[in-house]
Amino acid sequence: MIEIIGIWVAAFLTLCIYSFLYRDNPFYRFAEHLFVGISVGYGIVIAMHQGIIPLAWVPLSEAMSALWTVITGQATPETINALWGLVKIIPIAIGLLFFARLSPRHTWLIRYPIAILIGFGAGIAIPNELQANIFAQTRGTIAPFAAINAGTLSAWDIFGTILIVIGVICTLIYFFFSMEHRGAISWLSKVGIAFLMVGFGAAFGNTVMGRLALMIHRVGFLIKDWLGTIF
Amino acid sequence: MLERFMNMDRRIIFILIALVVIIPTLIPIRLPITVSEPTQKLYDYIDTLPSGSTIMIAFDYGPSSLAEPEPMAKAVMQHCFSKGVKVIGMTLYANTPTLAHKLMRRIAAENKAVYGEDYIFLGYRPGALQVILGMGTNIANVFETDYEKTPITEIPMMQNITNYDQIALLLDLAAGSTTGAWIVYANTRYGLKIAAGVTAVIIAQMYPYLQTGQLIGLMPGYLGAAEYEKLLNVAGGDGTVGLNTASYAHLLIIGLVLLGNIAFFVHRRKEA
Amino acid sequence: MKRQVPLALCFLFGIVMILTQFVPHKYVQALYKEFIDWGLIISPFALVLAVITLIQTHTTRVRRRTEHWQYSFLVFAGMIIMVCVGVPFGEQDSVFVWLYDNVQVPMDATMFSLLAFFIASAAFRAFRARSFEATLLLVTAMIVMLGNIPIGDLVWNKVMSWTPWADGASGARQWILDVLNSAARRGIILGVSLGVISQSIRIILGIERSYLGGGD
Repeated sequence: MIEIIGIWVAAFLTLCIYSFLYRDNPFYRFAEHLFVGISVGYGIVIAMHQGIIPLAWVPLSEAMSALWTVITGQATPETINALWGLVKIIPIAIGLLFFARLSPRHTWLIRYPIAILIGFGAGIAIPNELQANIFAQTRGTIAPFAAINAGTLSAWDIFGTILIVIGVICTLIYFFFSMEHRGAISWLSKVGIAFLMVGFGAAFGNTVMGRLALMIHRVGFLIKDWLGTIF
Repeated sequence: MLERFMNMDRRIIFILIALVVIIPTLIPIRLPITVSEPTQKLYDYIDTLPSGSTIMIAFDYGPSSLAEPEPMAKAVMQHCFSKGVKVIGMTLYANTPTLAHKLMRRIAAENKAVYGEDYIFLGYRPGALQVILGMGTNIANVFETDYEKTPITEIPMMQNITNYDQIALLLDLAAGSTTGAWIVYANTRYGLKIAAGVTAVIIAQMYPYLQTGQLIGLMPGYLGAAEYEKLLNVAGGDGTVGLNTASYAHLLIIGLVLLGNIAFFVHRRKEA
Repeated sequence: MKRQVPLALCFLFGIVMILTQFVPHKYVQALYKEFIDWGLIISPFALVLAVITLIQTHTTRVRRRTEHWQYSFLVFAGMIIMVCVGVPFGEQDSVFVWLYDNVQVPMDATMFSLLAFFIASAAFRAFRARSFEATLLLVTAMIVMLGNIPIGDLVWNKVMSWTPWADGASGARQWILDVLNSAARRGIILGVSLGVISQSIRIILGIERSYLGGGD
């Protein structure tokens, strides 16, 4: 019974949102705002139960109970080791500084956690981006020439390999703004635009499939699940 | 007349697109599917994994885009369970854990897989970058318990798993930029093998990584799910049904583009 | 205190994270693990702040009586219900899961499915071969669309059987994605990554400070 009520609620809300296709109306606005509220509520619960509690609260409370055993003289080697968990007070305190954003006078304190996360991200990005996206991608462009040299590629594949090299170079030239696009550079950058257009065309063609998939899923729900409860 | 046609009420197009989706949903069709190389590679990789291996599936999509990744998850998990390959699920998306947990439970029940022995769901932790890097050193540092609050040290299938070294593949079911992050941080930093099943919108972005081997396989949207179902000999799977239904809508959109352009060129010639 | 300490922290974390990539010494690797732990602990607070900011936006809407402000009460109602059920009883409580399954998921999925209608409308109204570049984009999109659907091969093999692709439309689609699309995407990846790396260096060295925001 609860399941059927759920299907009807979901179907009603689905139709509320589809009513927007006719024009903006109170049913759509009702569903839209309810959706935002439910999503925000869900976000809070997940942030608590899948974020703050397991990552900050649990380790800290374990460390505090270890400290209590030390204070009461019941410490064991394990609980003394667990005292290291008290170090987590520092990142927790830094994390709490995010809420300084809510006080105009102390809002500058938010820079501390942001600076740490940004520095962390920037530091880890440099070597890994270089390796994954510069070296590996450049190698991927050149490596097939070894196969050409070894005579293992068909004429059609050799054509494709050469096209990739031309495409990569011309696309990069199109994005290279440190010199004026005149003469040969202008022509090469036009070839780059052509490759980009083909890339965007492929993305558009695929996007059509993606968007239709979302609709097919909802229509499938309405016809099979919802109407299935009636007929 | 021509101008009226070119400026027709968009709601007429809405009705047309609704009809070409509703009719095939009511009267399903079956068309032959050609399996593409990226999907075949993923299938072959999983098919050759020894029984007892473990793969990780990252459910990196939200409810807004579940239509395509769900059939992919279903097909891959069915393949894994039939081969005795264990599955660890997790997500980098805050609005997905409930969805992914329920999906894994449902697929496992259909395949008679046992929670904790054949599969587990770790859940979600905020901070995608830290989660990816953290699991590379020790999964238990990031997920001390699974989604159902069992300490992962007490879960049978996690007894011999510490980090990515014991994981044969990470399959990222993605609707956004997460596959790039998995490649840059898990593959480059820790050597974890990555494959992806992505929504159609981001397929084109994945191809450079396929050619370099940074992605060992790729399922492109509904098409990828349908191809995987064909490789598994699953008749009438969600991906296959969805793709066949999408066929007519694609033809309608191609027709609309052609009609729009014909009208545009006739109009331009008249004006000249 | 207000600017120099954050800049120093950013520099410290950035440099250490670079070093951990190249120095396998156990102390450096222990520091690497510790910094990841710190990042993990700090991140959830950012998530909570993001949610609070959204609540503030709707509170402001109600206070200023902007258009359709009454609907903001629905936002609060939905949020309060989820929080009252989810925070004390956990994210696996059956009522919480029911609300997620039957309210949040269908609405989120339907909201995005509206795009199918709009993309069809845009295909008719705006997708025109006005120039050489637009024609390239259009022709590629048509081939990829045909290649994505099973019926595409049947259509292609009827009218385009002279082309070099064995599997008709799906073969042509695959070739476009493998070669022409990959070349363009690779150019973009190389450009974007060079940008990310140079920006990261500027951030660590304190040249790029926009993340600190305005004020002193």
